[in-house]
Amino acid sequence: MSGERPGRHAARENGVDWQQLKALLVAGIKLDLRTSRGGIGRGKLPPFVIALITYAVMGLLMAVGLRSQGDLFVYSLFAISAAMFMTALAVIMEYVTIVVHPDDFEILAHRPVSSRTYFWAKIGNMLFYVTPIALVMTLPSAVIGSYSLEPGFLFGLFHVLGGVVACLATAAAVVLIYTGTLKVVSYQRFTSIMTYVHSGVTLVLVLAYFLLPKMIEDDPMLLSLNRGAWVYAAPPAWFAGSVELLTGTGGSQNVQLLLMAAAGSALVIAAAMNTISLDYSRKISELTTSSVEADEHSDGRVRRRPFFRLGLASLGTGSERAGFVLMDAYMRRDRKLRSRVYPAFGLPLAVYLTALIRHDLHSPFVQSPDGNPVALQEIMGLYCIFVSLFFTTAMTQTEQWKASWLFYAAPLEDPSGVLRGARRLVIWRYLIPFFLLLFVLLSLAMPVLGAATFVLIVFPMCLAAFAILSLASPHMPLSQEVERTRQARQVGFFMILGTTMIPLLIAVQLMMQNRPAATGPIVATLWGLAWVAERLVGARLRRKLARGEFTG
Amino acid sequence: MNTPVTEGAIVFRDLTKRFEDTEAVAGVNLTIPRGQICGYLGPNGAGKTTTVKMATGMLRPTSGTAVIEGFDIGESPLEAKARIGVVPETGALYENLTPREYLSLVGHLYHLNRDEAEGKAETFLELFGIADVSGRTMTSFSRGMKQKVLISAALLHNPSVLFLDEPLSGLDANTAMVLKELLRELASQGKTIFYCSHVLEVVEKVCDRIVILNDGRIIADGNVEELKDLTSAASLEGVFSELTSTGDLPDIVRAFSESVTGVKGD
Repeated sequence: MSGERPGRHAARENGVDWQQLKALLVAGIKLDLRTSRGGIGRGKLPPFVIALITYAVMGLLMAVGLRSQGDLFVYSLFAISAAMFMTALAVIMEYVTIVVHPDDFEILAHRPVSSRTYFWAKIGNMLFYVTPIALVMTLPSAVIGSYSLEPGFLFGLFHVLGGVVACLATAAAVVLIYTGTLKVVSYQRFTSIMTYVHSGVTLVLVLAYFLLPKMIEDDPMLLSLNRGAWVYAAPPAWFAGSVELLTGTGGSQNVQLLLMAAAGSALVIAAAMNTISLDYSRKISELTTSSVEADEHSDGRVRRRPFFRLGLASLGTGSERAGFVLMDAYMRRDRKLRSRVYPAFGLPLAVYLTALIRHDLHSPFVQSPDGNPVALQEIMGLYCIFVSLFFTTAMTQTEQWKASWLFYAAPLEDPSGVLRGARRLVIWRYLIPFFLLLFVLLSLAMPVLGAATFVLIVFPMCLAAFAILSLASPHMPLSQEVERTRQARQVGFFMILGTTMIPLLIAVQLMMQNRPAATGPIVATLWGLAWVAERLVGARLRRKLARGEFTG
Repeated sequence: MNTPVTEGAIVFRDLTKRFEDTEAVAGVNLTIPRGQICGYLGPNGAGKTTTVKMATGMLRPTSGTAVIEGFDIGESPLEAKARIGVVPETGALYENLTPREYLSLVGHLYHLNRDEAEGKAETFLELFGIADVSGRTMTSFSRGMKQKVLISAALLHNPSVLFLDEPLSGLDANTAMVLKELLRELASQGKTIFYCSHVLEVVEKVCDRIVILNDGRIIADGNVEELKDLTSAASLEGVFSELTSTGDLPDIVRAFSESVTGVKGD
């Protein structure tokens, strides 16, 4: 057409309907920015903006930590790998809202929208989501690096550019893992392993993140200009090498890294995006609403585990039992809920593996091998405590939140009993088995008494955090709409938890190292504090939930 | 009566959908002429919604075809979809958009120009009595308000074929009356309407023809009088019960009552 704009012409030539594309993009961006109804959504800032602020703070912390690093490659490597790591986590945890919205299929499949148009709209939405994350994560290090590193402004420019492309490629790689898995295994098997893919990818990412500094520490040659073959296997190094080259300080290896970054990104983005279609959205839609039947006998009866029976026996009122049984059913069958909480276990286990490899595990009665009070073991302890946070937010949110009218219509004397029962289920079904497993794993690397003591210190801290954090989400179980900013909020809470729990953990261990005889009273005190926290929070929740209203 | 018919606006040929070992729709053959309102009835799980999903391109048939206004939904999906309006049973909407924004999105997807889409959207929302909330996101809307938006979205592009799956769900009595009359009016203008519902009184009043589905198969097809003759029942409700009920209704009611109250009947 003669008067057609070039963009529209190119779109039409590629089978993309420009008018539809524009409308879908605008709607997608509005949906990204709009406030959801639960929790933080009632604030004035859109959830996505809150998430960006959190990422910006993290980017700033990273940049401040790197300010004295004089090697441009190392500087860029760390900043870009952090941005890639956070992007991957964001896409993993928010996959069904960022990449393919489960409602897309129901709303769009009967409308005349071609797969190509839909696919480009999704690319646009993903760019919209990932680019700001990449920008806020890399901009602080770009600004500081512009002052501290020789190339100045040029470094900042290429560092940001490299960071954005790296993050987009990371997002695409996560998409590829999902869609690729769906292609090689049957749909039924895929639905069964989906939850574990979440946790597995998280574990791999955390492991890589913690091992990279160790690799560099162990082999200083890694940081020299004549870098080893490892740089070809580490995608963040491709981008850091590219930044180095583009600022005029690289060599022939940097040319290879630039080519790998460009080719790798193009390939992974093209491959991942070509897999997205409305049909894929149907699969995702089915996936998020279908149920897991792993624990059920062929006649439909549920296979109850011993911890379930013990937990149920510990409950008093009918509302507590109702909450316990409800949460048990959802944890078994709601794949999305499982996928939101299972990565929580990947984090401490990844740090455990890293610490095992680095010989950083030590009995709480002795100092860490390098004398540093914050060794990997303490970070692992923090992640163990952090597990409770995943449950705190996840257990109140579901796609079927409107079914919670039942809690308000039923003649409950104490509505908080339902939440108490649900929380008890989390403790019995997940936290107790997890800490028992942790005890077994730690026993492999330290004396049994040390392992038991560490668990007995960290577990009550986790329980106390579980109680206190529920004040931040004082809702009936499964009564809130799923929020998109969950991950960013969790990171924020993690920072707060870290600043309070790590010093406490260190202080407790120091006291035990100085006076081993005090171990018993210390452990008893921690358990007592956890009990008090549970009581105090329980009373507050009782008052709060008694005044609660159904918002559907 | 309706516009004279020369060919089928909706044609299902041996339409079949299998989910693993379950045959949800089993070889449905149906031709619905232009301008007809066809009621599609069946008990829960009979395959009504699956039929609609296949006919509107949301599900691929395991075998067979669905042809809309001469376009095979499998072979020419965009052409077929451009001619249909759908009110889905699920009521799925992007609830974080306002009705105005949602209808604008839909208008663009059907290539309406902006003024036309906005003008029509305003009119629909006004007629449905929700113009005053058209700037609010739909998260707080009642079921009926959302249904009004869904119906508006289905009609916005003036489709020649409508697939309505429980369209009266949540609507107040006045709006329901308006919609029933509107459907008669649209049919008289040559639009074809495929109407799925469990509300037999409405189907009886609105539809020219009634198809009853059971276990994925068509078990009856005709107008109300023909179906009554077929079964010797006095009402559509009786016809439906006779054709699809698996037990004796009074016995079922008695068993329920005893279960609820704990009191044994006679």
